[in-house]
Amino acid sequence: MKIFGILVLKKDGDKAQIIASHYDLSSFGYFQRGSVQEFMNFSSVTIGERTPPGTRQSVEGENNVAHVYSHPQGIVGVVMSDKDYPSRVAFSLLNRVTDEFLVKYPNATRPVNYTELEGYVVRYQDPKEADPLMKVQNELDETTEIMRQTIDSVLKRGEKLDSLVDRSEALSSQSKMFYKTAKKTNACCVVM
Amino acid sequence: MTFKDRTNEFHAIADRIRSRSHVPNALERRSLIQSPSPSGQQASRSEFSLMAAEISRNITSTAGKLEKLTKLAKRKTLFDDKPVEIGELTFIIKQDIAKLNRQIAMLQDYTKRQKQSSKQASEHTSNVVITLQSKLADTSMSFKDVLEIRTENMKMTKDKRDQFLFSAAEQSGPPALANSPLLKSRRRPNNERTQTPVASIGGSGIGNNNGGYVPQDEPESTLSLGIPMLTPQQQQEQMMVLEQDRYIDHRSTAIESIESTIAELGGIFQQLATMVAEQRETVQRIDQNTDDIEMHVMGAQRELLKYYTNISSNRWLIIKIFVTIVCFFLLFTLIM
Repeated sequence: MKIFGILVLKKDGDKAQIIASHYDLSSFGYFQRGSVQEFMNFSSVTIGERTPPGTRQSVEGENNVAHVYSHPQGIVGVVMSDKDYPSRVAFSLLNRVTDEFLVKYPNATRPVNYTELEGYVVRYQDPKEADPLMKVQNELDETTEIMRQTIDSVLKRGEKLDSLVDRSEALSSQSKMFYKTAKKTNACCVVM
Repeated sequence: MTFKDRTNEFHAIADRIRSRSHVPNALERRSLIQSPSPSGQQASRSEFSLMAAEISRNITSTAGKLEKLTKLAKRKTLFDDKPVEIGELTFIIKQDIAKLNRQIAMLQDYTKRQKQSSKQASEHTSNVVITLQSKLADTSMSFKDVLEIRTENMKMTKDKRDQFLFSAAEQSGPPALANSPLLKSRRRPNNERTQTPVASIGGSGIGNNNGGYVPQDEPESTLSLGIPMLTPQQQQEQMMVLEQDRYIDHRSTAIESIESTIAELGGIFQQLATMVAEQRETVQRIDQNTDDIEMHVMGAQRELLKYYTNISSNRWLIIKIFVTIVCFFLLFTLIM
């Protein structure tokens, strides 16, 4: 599950223009990287022009998928990833990227250098860690596992407590006999 | 919200007017009675009331936008949905609510920093903050309800579109059944194009009357009115709605699974608590047993001590007893 790149496009009317992008093409051979990047640019521009504002789309290619989110305020975010990457995580990433981009550059029309994209690409390479929903699910699963182990130990504790009860009852009766014998020795037949 | 709490605004305006004009003594006394804190704090309190007033104004404006959104979301027309506007409005309302949250948090910090001289004043500020927070909570609850209504409506419209639409991605029913109304309708598209405004009402009429699955031949006449409006552009729109739905479905499944996991976890905790409570009784028995043991052993030790002192103090008696026994033995042997 990898992300190959994140792009931000500006859309006015029917034309889209790339204004920020970052790629992670380490999985491609050195000489393929240029053409892959060109392909990504071209396809994201095409798809961005064909996406109505306020909607999301996922377009599948031979071995990669483009997740597109068109923000109502004229910004289109595209994430190029492979097919295994969960689309929900990609769309939530796009939500965040577009919102923050709008906060930082509300009126960008020329390409800008948006440095956070690199951080996002690096962080979201592992969707399980970056997406809060999946992280919560993971932690909950771990917690249930721990809770099951706890219940097992509590069961063992119960057994040990039961054996403790039996032994303490035996000890109690023995000490009672001890007391009675001592009292008897003291009271009867003051022989010596 | 039928009423708005404007006492803060009133206080702010009164302060402003007071500071602007020369105040005669009676008014000063009255103002002092109304706000019994020294003038230094009056400035900070009016600032607080200004901030609180602004927050309540923002809350009312957000509530107004939410009402508009509710009206838009409640519309059940089949084809005249305005996803763009609804999406925009949702986005704006979300931003507003986040901003209001931040403002109320700032207000709370502000009140914590300011030390109020009288108890009433601090109670009043905390009450105001609590009121604002509860109003914001109500607004966000109704926002959530509106979003739920909207998703339900979108699902309903998608289902109804499926009934009327033969689309390759969605084909699940028998093709013949779906083909026939389309074929029949395609034969008279040109006559019905002029009746498109009526058709939309007809479409919404269908939506209102038929909640679930409709047998294909029953609303044939209205089908023929409705289908010609479905241009390729609207087909694509429906795919878009599908896509949105898929994203939303994914999210809702993920959240549902999280919810069920949390519920399961809660059940496990409950079981754990029950087991520990049962074991508590066992532990109490053990406690009692050990107390008994201690008591017995202490008593036995006392007896033994008494015996020991008896023995050691009785020595002379023992010697005397021994002497008498020996004497008796000697007597018996002498007689024998």
